[in-house]
Amino acid sequence: MESMVAKITQIILSPVLALIVGVFFLGLARKIMARIHWRYGPPLIQPVIDMIKLFYQKGVSHGRIFDLGIILSLAGSIVVVLFLPFGRIAPLSNSGGLLVILYMMLLAPLGMALSGGQGANPNISIGISRKLILSLGYEAPLLLILLAVMTHYKTISIVEVVSAQQSTSWSIISFPLFLSGLSYFLILPAILGIRPFDVSSAPQEISSGPMAEYGGKYLALATIEHAFVLFISIALFVNLFLGGAANPFIFFVKMLVVFVLGLCVNAVFPRFRIEQAIKYLWKWPTLLAFVSLIIIMAIRS
Amino acid sequence: MDRNQITKWLKAPAKMANKYSLHAIYFCTGCGIIEVPPVITARWDAERFGVIPVATPRQANLFLITGYVSVKTLRAIIRTYEQMLEPKYVIGFGSCPINGGMYWDSYNTIKHLDKYIPVDGWIAGCMPRPEAIIVAVTHLWTLIDKDMANGYVKYRENYEYYRRNQELALGKLEWPPLYPTE
Repeated sequence: MESMVAKITQIILSPVLALIVGVFFLGLARKIMARIHWRYGPPLIQPVIDMIKLFYQKGVSHGRIFDLGIILSLAGSIVVVLFLPFGRIAPLSNSGGLLVILYMMLLAPLGMALSGGQGANPNISIGISRKLILSLGYEAPLLLILLAVMTHYKTISIVEVVSAQQSTSWSIISFPLFLSGLSYFLILPAILGIRPFDVSSAPQEISSGPMAEYGGKYLALATIEHAFVLFISIALFVNLFLGGAANPFIFFVKMLVVFVLGLCVNAVFPRFRIEQAIKYLWKWPTLLAFVSLIIIMAIRS
Repeated sequence: MDRNQITKWLKAPAKMANKYSLHAIYFCTGCGIIEVPPVITARWDAERFGVIPVATPRQANLFLITGYVSVKTLRAIIRTYEQMLEPKYVIGFGSCPINGGMYWDSYNTIKHLDKYIPVDGWIAGCMPRPEAIIVAVTHLWTLIDKDMANGYVKYRENYEYYRRNQELALGKLEWPPLYPTE
């Protein structure tokens, strides 16, 4: 009975924590970007102010799928958060595994694609096609990376991967797996959709792509979705390669380090064209992940 | 944030959030666009006031009209304004949207922008300095505080007047009325 109550508390607590961390990262991103550009920057709570404003506005809907698609992508993200351990808070991580996470991570771009497709704005169609092509680009190396991790630790459970790393050493500093870790860090901007891979939401080219028709509540939900995606992709990196953490605070600090490193890439690089992005994603990260997988297989056999 | 601000936030969160999160869409009709980049980038950094440029009218609630308004761009301005979500604020930047400016005699520009869409504030000058946008934003905050930046309400209430003026300038309009007339 008590474990049941603890589990339910964790199920409620974990998405809330993820949301707080994600929104904090959004605010921090704007502040750090501003400081890199030698500006003062907005207050740290600017995304919260924006969201309060957006929730009070009356959005324009373009049909039922337009409403439901964004909720679908939000739901997909929340489910992934439940499977990811955040320090010791890991509500569903015993039942799921890396394969479930891999499948559920696809729901977020698909939901956005469904929702945007209803908008009937040519910029949205271009943005969605770019986003799906980009996810095709990073899914291949991501699958290879996860395969390498699963083969190395002989498990699909993310909790066991974390505990194995805590008993030995982090996989980012162990021999064959650091190639996979490097590869994950190289595709991280593509998963987050930040520069140099912000092809799908390029405001100057295609009027922010899939977001072009979102206003009011829809934009607020899309921002929350983005916060969740930020949390998921960085938490996955910390869990797989930086050894997770014993408590949420250490975990958060590790996430912060990874995020700030990613932001420095974001602040100084221009945008790829979509075919350049695919060429890059299928060349270096895929090569690294593949080499790492082959070495691990060779050691195992 | 002092105590006064916190009570204001608790009393009217929507109004305060509108104040501090003005997402601007700017319409570079001719001149004036060169004044906008210094404001949003490192020189005068409007982001510390919560003002950021956005790409589409759906996400915007501050409409910056810089420079003269030709009849052709008036059409696009009206359509953009009608796509924005309420509450929405309009600032005319430069003397040409105020009264025609140096294009008073032109056959191809309109003289008074506020006959066609409601304008909440003006920045006079030809051209105004980029800092003037920041001053205008702080003045707009005062107006929002006193509930005086209600151009969008005026547009809804006097829609027939605005629609008639728009039709006088542009001829037949190919889009349906935003609010029911009659």
